[in-house]
Amino acid sequence: MKTQTYYLNLGPQHPSTHGVFRIILELDGEVVVKATPVPGYLHRGIEKLAEARTYTQVIPYTDRMDYLAAMLMNWGYVEAVEKLMGIEVPERAEYIRVIVGELSRIASHMIATGAYGADIGALTAFTYTFRDREYVIDLLEMVSGSRMTFSYFRIGGVAADFPEEFYPAVKKLLDQIPAMCDEYDGLITGNEIFQARTKFVGIIPPEVAVDYSLSGPVLRGSGVNYDLRKVRPYSVYDRFDFEVPLGKNGDCWDRFRIRIEEMRQSKRIIEQALEQMPEGPVLGKVPKVIKPPVGDAYAEIESSKGVYGCYVVSDGSPKPYRVHFRRPSFINLGYLGKLLEGWKIADVIAILGSIDIVLGEVDC
Amino acid sequence: MFGQGLLKGLEITWGRLFGKKHTVNYPYKRIEMFPRFHGRFQLDVDKCIACGLCVNACPNKVIEMEREKVGKKQFLTKYVMRIEYCLFCGLCVESCNRDALRFTNVIDMNQYRRKWVRLTLVDRPAPEAEETPEEAPAKAAKAEAAAGKAPDKEG
Repeated sequence: MKTQTYYLNLGPQHPSTHGVFRIILELDGEVVVKATPVPGYLHRGIEKLAEARTYTQVIPYTDRMDYLAAMLMNWGYVEAVEKLMGIEVPERAEYIRVIVGELSRIASHMIATGAYGADIGALTAFTYTFRDREYVIDLLEMVSGSRMTFSYFRIGGVAADFPEEFYPAVKKLLDQIPAMCDEYDGLITGNEIFQARTKFVGIIPPEVAVDYSLSGPVLRGSGVNYDLRKVRPYSVYDRFDFEVPLGKNGDCWDRFRIRIEEMRQSKRIIEQALEQMPEGPVLGKVPKVIKPPVGDAYAEIESSKGVYGCYVVSDGSPKPYRVHFRRPSFINLGYLGKLLEGWKIADVIAILGSIDIVLGEVDC
Repeated sequence: MFGQGLLKGLEITWGRLFGKKHTVNYPYKRIEMFPRFHGRFQLDVDKCIACGLCVNACPNKVIEMEREKVGKKQFLTKYVMRIEYCLFCGLCVESCNRDALRFTNVIDMNQYRRKWVRLTLVDRPAPEAEETPEEAPAKAAKAEAAAGKAPDKEG
């Protein structure tokens, strides 16, 4: 019998692409022969917009990249500018950054967990994680005033100290996090149908993951122990005791499971940070008009999706000459085309969901 | 045993059915916003000295300000925020030295028409000048000199 392949267009408007993302699938029956990812539908030109703004004015734009973990997006940028200018950040500000950053990571992983459940077919789990995320977002709102695009970080520190009511609220939430994670484990991780859909699906071998420069839970799911917070501690991460969860097989299930484990570890970090937090100012000595010397700087942090880097070039004027962001979601997508080959259509959704992309960040 | 995970999931969802409610009956009952909430802007006209720091702080050129010189002071005649472009980042509020511009807890800024969205905080005519004409030029020169000096200091 003579057969031929055919094309199927997945997206750009498709709930499982988590935004506007398109994959052109060449199929042989149900099996993917070739997959061509087409990003770019959400491109706003943030890097170009930054060239027409002052250094401080770029901060609200970084929020709009990974809008699920906006605090972490702020962090990478301000750290690059601080490195460029040689600004010393007060210790209390560093601790505040760690706390809000880890809360942001928890919020982002909650979405990743729930949305992945919804992709596989467990829509109930989605409502559970979103409910819990609201409580995390409440805390960040208390601190920064916004629920999603916080713009809380400033060059040299943070915008304001924690309000008094934050401390009991965060304690209450941290106590609940293990129970929340257990609930997700019971609802999704332990579910046999979910396991059948995700175990040994979309395997990324560790050496390939390294070759493709993957990072974050996607890399650690393959068993590569690489977490910037451990291997090259920035800020005050060297003072905390936490573990880096690792996967064994590099399949979708490992990548999913790691995120829940990371939430538990983030909880540990926040507890230690709250305990060690010193008194003091939250904003360092920063000139009124930020004019870095001629030069360039690159800073990177571990965001919820992977290694997020920011490169800033200064020509001595109050506006950056060039800003470039290394977005982990975008780079993690680089291997998607190859990864999808040989899997069935239903697995395409499972694999794409396990990478946990945010299109605002992919297209920048 | 196969199916144990499914039963565990059912146990959780059934438990939640009788658990605490996490939502409120929104339009009738509202959650109170936190004091730092970035809601609708409020401008204290008496405190505002029309310095224009907020205009310069805005990343998106949201604020349109018009001022007139009345006597020796700047008088704010118009203050319009193009809220449709606002990022609610709070850089304008932070830049205000006089604590004149503030966020409120008001969240419902939705409008039916786009042209109604614009937030006009001040729109008033300038009062008549009371100063004698001889004094005015000398004061203006002083003000200009001060304005000229300011940028070097900051830079």
